[in-house]
Amino acid sequence: MLGLLEAAGLTGRGGASFPTASKWRAVAERAGGDAVVIANGAEGEPLSRKDAMLMEKRPHLVIDGALIAAESVGAGRAILYAGQEHRRAVLAMRRAIRERPSFERGRLELVEAPKSYIAGEESAAVHFLNQGVAAPTAIPPRPFESGVGGRPTLVQNVETLAQAALIARGRPAGSLLLTLGGAVARPGVVEVPIGATVAEVLELSGRHGQPRAVLMGGYFGGWVGFEEASSMTLDPHRLRAAGGSLGCGVVWVLQENADAVGATARVMARLASESAAQCGPCFFGLRSLADACARIASRLPQANDLHNLRHWSDMVQGRGACKHPDGAVTFLRSALRLFEAEFAAAARAA
Amino acid sequence: MNNTLLWYSTRGAGAVSLVLLSAVVVLGILNVHRFETAGWPRFLTQGLHRNVSLLALVFLGVHIVTAVVDPFTSLGWLAAIVPFSSYYRTFWLGLGVVAFELLLAITVSSLIRRQIGLRVWRAIHWLAYGCWPVAAAHGLGTGTDSGQLWMWLVVGGCVGAVGFSVAARLLLPPRDPLSEPRGDFRQRVTRGPSR
Repeated sequence: MLGLLEAAGLTGRGGASFPTASKWRAVAERAGGDAVVIANGAEGEPLSRKDAMLMEKRPHLVIDGALIAAESVGAGRAILYAGQEHRRAVLAMRRAIRERPSFERGRLELVEAPKSYIAGEESAAVHFLNQGVAAPTAIPPRPFESGVGGRPTLVQNVETLAQAALIARGRPAGSLLLTLGGAVARPGVVEVPIGATVAEVLELSGRHGQPRAVLMGGYFGGWVGFEEASSMTLDPHRLRAAGGSLGCGVVWVLQENADAVGATARVMARLASESAAQCGPCFFGLRSLADACARIASRLPQANDLHNLRHWSDMVQGRGACKHPDGAVTFLRSALRLFEAEFAAAARAA
Repeated sequence: MNNTLLWYSTRGAGAVSLVLLSAVVVLGILNVHRFETAGWPRFLTQGLHRNVSLLALVFLGVHIVTAVVDPFTSLGWLAAIVPFSSYYRTFWLGLGVVAFELLLAITVSSLIRRQIGLRVWRAIHWLAYGCWPVAAAHGLGTGTDSGQLWMWLVVGGCVGAVGFSVAARLLLPPRDPLSEPRGDFRQRVTRGPSR
């Protein structure tokens, strides 16, 4: 199975695009048959719906993937960790578990993840399953070293597991799930072949006015100008080589005349409010960044706000136990780069 | 003449090391309490704690090397590495070796904190509370100058500063400006009894 994954070049669909075979191997090497698999369907990203959709429409495929992963890494248990706000997905998964034969059912467990942006962060998922608190923990140990009950634990996004199940059946891993949103005629989840361009995908969903920019990868992704985004190929390997990332597959379109600064400020406010308040630089830093963004967006900036956005981003980067602050400043920097003129004009408004 | 220089260096570097180590302990405790004023930002405490500890290691290096190479003492390197193996003032000198090795463990674990994890690092860092008194006892027990008034003043100042800080650490709960928002967040993401 590891060889098949490697040959297919499958990468994680939760956001980090980490090579799946390497991840499974790291757990398998440490497990003596007592590892744990977490099928991660927490999907706390506000713009993403693809995991919820997959769990709702193809719950058995997710379970197949989780069981195959358990078999491959030497795990006795597979925990399906689904976001509690995705009600239909939770119900579908519950029903699907009941439909499995008893020898499989005994190894499966459904756990509802609390509604929170970082509940799906892998150490937060493990923390929740161990102690009931979905907040990230300091690493090391990473989950693959010591996770649920101190055992080596594979935390894998549900779409990745579904793809693994297809690969196990001899199907090539040729598709991606995307969540289209913003200024598109038909928002929602689509399955597209790897290698499609963003322009082709948006053509399918129906354009809706002249787009200005695309938020690729959701709140942890970044803004890309529409021209540049149009020609981008949706292929995890090629995007990575080009310095970009597929992230969690969100393609959210900002219209030509939309308020880019305001949209950025709203995302920053949400990310700041989702800090677990465990690390000072994350809690205070993101709040300061979000407040400065909000002041600029409402055309009531203080003297150094624009300068401070850059300065504080540098100070926050890499200073959290998890990657929450890093994701937020990556997003903010993309906005400052692409919407430089708007930010400058708004910051001068006072 | 050369011997005398080494001997004075050993004594001087030892006294300076004690002062620096005391400062490191006090700064570490200030850090835990998130001490700050308008003119003394928190990063200053953190930076000083880190850099003064490295400076203390330098003086300790001088202290140990000059003591060992001094032909008059002929301690030998083994006595500087293996605690209580010295023919000369076996116990009191051995305390110095113990303190030095504890300090090495604390410093090295801090440099590789990312690799070993917060929990292990923290457990090792608690050794500081053992390291400092052992170092001070070594200084008082074997120090050539420990009968001198000025040395009493130096040691007294160090003991007073560290003692005051440790008392504050024990009596005052560490200030945690994040405790309230963290509590709010945890309430949101903690599993209810229903499950």
